[in-house]
Amino acid sequence: MKPLHLVLLAVAIIVALVFLTFAPSRMRAWQSRFFDASSPAIQAGAAINDRISKMNKGFKTLDELEAENAALLAQNNELRASGQLLKDLADENRRLRDTLGYRERSVFNLVPAKVISRDSASWWSSVKINRGFAENVDAAQPVLTADGLVGRTTTVAKDLAMVMLLTDENCQVAARIEETGDQGIMTGLRTAGEAAPQLVLNFLKRNADIKPGMKVVTAGVSGGVFPAGIPLGTVKEFRTRELDGQAVIEPAADISRLEDVFVVRGTK
Amino acid sequence: MIRALVLVLSAYLAVIAQDFLPAMPFFAGAHVLLLPVVVCYALLWMPFPAALAFALYAGLLADLSSLHVDGDHVEIGLGWSMLYYVLVAAVLNLPRWPVSGLRWETHCLVSGAATFFLLAGQYLMVCLRRHFVFDLAVIAQIFGPVLAALLLAPVLYFFFGLFPGGAPRFRGRRVAR
Repeated sequence: MKPLHLVLLAVAIIVALVFLTFAPSRMRAWQSRFFDASSPAIQAGAAINDRISKMNKGFKTLDELEAENAALLAQNNELRASGQLLKDLADENRRLRDTLGYRERSVFNLVPAKVISRDSASWWSSVKINRGFAENVDAAQPVLTADGLVGRTTTVAKDLAMVMLLTDENCQVAARIEETGDQGIMTGLRTAGEAAPQLVLNFLKRNADIKPGMKVVTAGVSGGVFPAGIPLGTVKEFRTRELDGQAVIEPAADISRLEDVFVVRGTK
Repeated sequence: MIRALVLVLSAYLAVIAQDFLPAMPFFAGAHVLLLPVVVCYALLWMPFPAALAFALYAGLLADLSSLHVDGDHVEIGLGWSMLYYVLVAAVLNLPRWPVSGLRWETHCLVSGAATFFLLAGQYLMVCLRRHFVFDLAVIAQIFGPVLAALLLAPVLYFFFGLFPGGAPRFRGRRVAR
């Protein structure tokens, strides 16, 4: 290696090390600026992705329709295409009605958002949503669906925010078993992966009478991020460890297939 | 020059696009990583000073895209990917390196190796900061993206080859095709 190359290598390493010395707040500010700059590309990617997934759904449903309606195979392609289009529109209409209904009956002040991408990193799980500080979304705000809690916001840009999911090992939530009142700290599992999201509720009493099927909700610790009473999931299994009890929880919200979510900005 | 610009644009698009690719269910929901494949092509093709600049640029993009900041806690800080890709650039430019130069086989192997060490390094860093967890899902989440990189590398190699970019390097020197 030439001496000049060695000098350049040393300079490059120093540049990387300078970035490593940044404070977390400065890192978040850089990331927020990057999201602002990349927002058009991310939104365009989301639109393309949405179109592709809708196309895929259409093909699948068409297969099902063909199987179910063997007698109608003689019908022309135009009629089938029209029927398919109507079904897609009805599904979308029902989904939007459900989400709108939840927003109206909820005690929280909610900002509706759409999940536009899922982080490709292996060891932590987060998604990006299409709402940011332009809609008063801030960092550390709970994100939920009509079924239950999903996670909380971390980095927020103008019209984009990152949401750390419940399944992330860093996302810790004070949780309570609804039936027994036992409290613990719920967290995700690093190696559970996106395909089979799992949560564990730690620091329970060893002799707690916890049974599969019991509901788990947020405990709502004072000064905490999450309000009390938001559904988290149901107990799948309870096991005792050396010092405490641990429950395996099945998430209430379908975290592997998130589409429409709400950011909680406070209570009404 | 055109290929260099295509690579710069591709690195940016790879960072955006890889978040939209579906998870691989057979590999514990691991994602396909496009960026290491693009970076490895650039590091093999570009002269060393340009490769270093590209490594810093790609590392910055990777970190900014997936930085995990939660309050005052940062899982893997801004700069680690930059440092990693700079080291990859240095290793690929070592003198008498047996696989130096731009061939599709080299690009394929280097892409797989770079993806492996990137994910394994991240995993070790997370383990050192928190606690050690190891099961089959860890292996799947590392080797899934590695396999995807091995399969994608030849495709991207031939794609980038479509753009005019001068003679390829071989053993640290530019030689005629």
